Amino acid sequence: MTLSTINIINRDHQIAKLSAIAVALSLIEFFLPSPIPGVKPGIANIIILYTIFKFDLRMGIWVSLIRVFVTSILLGTFLSPTFFLSLSGALFSLFSLIIFRNLNSKYFSIISFSLITSLAHIAGQFIIVRLWIIPHNGIFYLLPIFIISAFIFGLVNALVTSKLLQLNSKK
Amino acid sequence: MIKKILQFFKVIKSGDWLIIILFCGLIIFSTKFLWNLPQGEYLEIYKRNEILATYSLNQKITKIINGAKGETKINIDNGKVRFSSAPCAKKYCIHQGWINKANQTIICIPNQISISIVGAKRKYDSINY
Amino acid sequence: MRLNNLLIYILIGFLIGCSDNKLHHGKDYIFGTLIDIKIYGESKINAEKVSDEIFTEFHRLHKLLHPWEKSLITDINNAISKNKSISINNDEIIKILTDVQRLETQTQNLFNPSIGKLIKLWGFHSNDYNRKIIPNEEIIQKLVSSNPSMQSIIIKNGILKSNNKNVQIDLGGYAKGYALDQAKKILKNNNVKNALINIGGNILAFGKYDERDWVVGIQNPRKPNILATIALKPGWAIGTSGDYQRYIMVDNKRFSHLINPKTGYPERKTQSATILLPPSEDSGTLSDVFSKPLFIISKKNKVNMATLLNINYFLIIMDDDSILLSKSLNKEINWEDDIDKKNITIF
Repeated sequence: MTLSTINIINRDHQIAKLSAIAVALSLIEFFLPSPIPGVKPGIANIIILYTIFKFDLRMGIWVSLIRVFVTSILLGTFLSPTFFLSLSGALFSLFSLIIFRNLNSKYFSIISFSLITSLAHIAGQFIIVRLWIIPHNGIFYLLPIFIISAFIFGLVNALVTSKLLQLNSKK
Repeated sequence: MIKKILQFFKVIKSGDWLIIILFCGLIIFSTKFLWNLPQGEYLEIYKRNEILATYSLNQKITKIINGAKGETKINIDNGKVRFSSAPCAKKYCIHQGWINKANQTIICIPNQISISIVGAKRKYDSINY
Repeated sequence: MRLNNLLIYILIGFLIGCSDNKLHHGKDYIFGTLIDIKIYGESKINAEKVSDEIFTEFHRLHKLLHPWEKSLITDINNAISKNKSISINNDEIIKILTDVQRLETQTQNLFNPSIGKLIKLWGFHSNDYNRKIIPNEEIIQKLVSSNPSMQSIIIKNGILKSNNKNVQIDLGGYAKGYALDQAKKILKNNNVKNALINIGGNILAFGKYDERDWVVGIQNPRKPNILATIALKPGWAIGTSGDYQRYIMVDNKRFSHLINPKTGYPERKTQSATILLPPSEDSGTLSDVFSKPLFIISKKNKVNMATLLNINYFLIIMDDDSILLSKSLNKEINWEDDIDKKNITIF
């Protein structure tokens, strides 16, 4: 086999491994009770961020989408509103990454990316909620809570991911 | 927790601060705009020279306040306010009816109670009458 | 790393700076009305001290000049009604009485603080004025024809006497303005640079609010709204005589406390008369006093009276909602409501 083929197989392995972990985290999160409906730490995002920073954006996109689909199939929520919420959040996050991928890493660390993607994530979810699930303006009352939690969890996830990257780069 | 804070400062770069500040700005903006916090519109009730109470305008409720002359009733009804009963002789305060805009004020001088709707931007500092 | 630190300090400094409030605000009820004092740019301690000093002075004046509760003025009025002379050991009162004598002449007797009996007759010598019927026509005529005037009062060597028993001094149209001028002195003595003092609607602007002029709203005579706003440049004063604060309703007709000394009846064709005066030692007093003749005099003579009193900024609203507006005020006034501009005549 050629070197490129081996690399491709390596990449697939990586994707599979990372996606599996992401799905596992999503499942755990699903079963953890949350004090406020809809507010979740999004710990699977740690894996996505890790993938993007350790490898590249394309892998991150794969892992993210696989996570959304597999989680929803396993939970039996495929094609339900929950699924579309998850998908919308993921897509918005990924779009924001594509837009901002050229941010100079001299000035912007993982923290910025994490904050931007977490904001995009809740934006994507909020739009689905407003358009489809709770279609009146009362929902905007909850927006500040989501923005605040996006901020907090965005920061926390960034720090966890950076620690993971640090640990793994020592290997 | 402390470890996390230390790590934060190891990781953070200058551009990140910009993102953080923008994010905080977004949080403040959304709370002010959507939650009508103290910079939004609300009701201030003054007794003589002190603020007695502050109430949101987004409710339908009657408040009973004690002034210099006696008890007075104030109706708040989703954005508008009025005196519904007062111990003064002339009842001018009641006859003013409902007020609903920022900076509008009704004063019951004999009872020394005034109700004002406070808004985000005051167009003027004082009223000549 | 150092840049990070700097940014943190800036962020913290920004947050602290935003919560610092440079405006001190005090209120009280004196002279039967609401007093509002705003002081800008002073330390909280100093602003409180000056504000307290001003309120204390107002309370003193309230007790000294009260038109119907026991005061030096009521003592004088008692003596006058009994045709007795009274000795006055108060230089301030002598100065005030001499001052109002001059102002009465200057306003062609339309500002006449000796018609206390008429004001009382209409029921306004009380905090609860609620007459339901017009006073007896004959009594009104008797009081009017007795021609009460401040000129009948003679003060010599500290002794006051009047030859007109029907004179009863009521400084209601003077006291608030005088208090404004007293407040001005207190502010100057305390080196306060910026303040806004509102005594029952009569306002004096001292300095500015930060970098901009103080802005004042003008009350709509018939609604709880602002008609217009105007910037009060440093030292300027604004005063309004209006029929919408102290009045009685008889048969659905409004009779305000602004009584025409020549007829004995409240002036009913005017809703409000507002004037702005430039800085001067007695601008506060004049902003109170001069709005009265402008309110009382007939519509066709209002502009002449304004010219006579050297008032360049006036806004008069008649009972048919027509508006008389001076050219100078027209340039600076900011209308709020959708005022029907057709109703405005500019002079």
